[in-house]
Amino acid sequence: MSALSPEAASAPSGGTFDGVVSHGNWIRDMHPLNVAVVLASISLLALATPRPVGLVSGCVAFLGIAVAAGVGGSFARLYAKLVVGVGLVLFVLRAAFVHGNHVLFELGPLAPTWEGVREGTTFALVVMALCGALTLYFVLVPMKTFMLALELKGMPPQATYILLASFQAITDLGRSARTVMDAQKSRGIETEGNLWVRARAFVPILAPVFITALNQTEERAIALDARAFNSGIPHTHVLQLRPAPAWERAATALTAAACLATIGAGLLWT
Amino acid sequence: MSTQSLISRYGRLTIFMIPIGIAINFVGGQLALLLKLPVYLDSIGTILVGALCGGIPGALVGLVSNGINSITSPPTLAFGILNVMFGLLAGWLGRRGVFTVLWKTLASAVPFALIGGFLGALITLWVFGGLAVGGGALVVGALMAAGLDVTTANFVAQVPMDFLDKVPTVLAVYVVLRGIPRRIFAKLPLGEVYLRAKGVTPAPVPTASQPTPGGLR
Repeated sequence: MSALSPEAASAPSGGTFDGVVSHGNWIRDMHPLNVAVVLASISLLALATPRPVGLVSGCVAFLGIAVAAGVGGSFARLYAKLVVGVGLVLFVLRAAFVHGNHVLFELGPLAPTWEGVREGTTFALVVMALCGALTLYFVLVPMKTFMLALELKGMPPQATYILLASFQAITDLGRSARTVMDAQKSRGIETEGNLWVRARAFVPILAPVFITALNQTEERAIALDARAFNSGIPHTHVLQLRPAPAWERAATALTAAACLATIGAGLLWT
Repeated sequence: MSTQSLISRYGRLTIFMIPIGIAINFVGGQLALLLKLPVYLDSIGTILVGALCGGIPGALVGLVSNGINSITSPPTLAFGILNVMFGLLAGWLGRRGVFTVLWKTLASAVPFALIGGFLGALITLWVFGGLAVGGGALVVGALMAAGLDVTTANFVAQVPMDFLDKVPTVLAVYVVLRGIPRRIFAKLPLGEVYLRAKGVTPAPVPTASQPTPGGLR
């Protein structure tokens, strides 16, 4: 702490070691909680607007925001995977199996109906609208920035640690599992073949990975204790959130109010 | 329950076990996919942390796992309650020493499968109208095409599928528990149960005026 310069020591955050988080784009530089409010408002509006126009508009709006934020490519790739893996599956299952009076065609035991297609389209679009908001949020806002915003709003650091450490542990354990799998393969454990052969490979791969991970918890506990993690005094942060300017707060409030007013007007109208 | 009360009740090491439990859930599921096994194996971490640390930490592992999963697959969020129930049940069973004996561990697959199968089928019916995402939905669809109604198809498909999933899950938990060193058990809330099963008599729990020498609990 003594190495802190007087300027840093007098910084508004009162204990930040680095500069303000900035991505060079005004959407990505918005406060994480303001981004959450805007995306939640758009999702609600998409869900409340007559279907399927509202839902499609919501999905298109998310794509537009992603392009404006300079993350159009990465969002579109991720979203396309979800459309195929989640949306299309939900649509096909309903189109194929929901009973109705208007059969479109028959293919063996399958008899897709017009009612199934309609229900499938609506349900898949509802899920994709929600999926779009969540996916876009985590493309726009890094998890550590989101956790910092929550911590500054009063969330206990132990809770934010659990979430951040979980993401890190998923990456670390995944890497470790692949290493152990390769090592066990080289020792002669079969990971290809019939179901029984593959099932028998599960425990020799899983056990060393999980037991090592559990042993490491002790080291992590000591490392964080050495850094006074559980001391009970306010924590310092490596990152600092940009204070939300007045125009950003006003724009967020206006977007939320406009979406809620439109939903309210729609409800009164019907 | 606040994090401070969680720490004071379950010990500091429990806070560090939760992220590992969450990661184990994910990696278990990934391994099942890599080995092309027809099971999910995505609740090993929940049951393991429940069995080692108690019901509430286990339930937290389940809740956060489904929350993280829902970022890329929102339908998963609806099934979060299942993982919470698995964590609570694992804590209850762990306290009774179920995971210290192989046959009892294998028998515990039945309540886990009943919760997963029945509650899972009910959630699929209530939230998704009977057709959710995943391999189970294809089985449900096939049964519907064969003439079963949506409710029966869901129960007929999900209960046996969950049983097939929970037997290797609890077996994996048993194997991992057998491999954990005694010194780790000594620092975990339910570690005493496993130490007694290994024939070790744990030292008396220190009072507030006599803190643990290691300091981690």
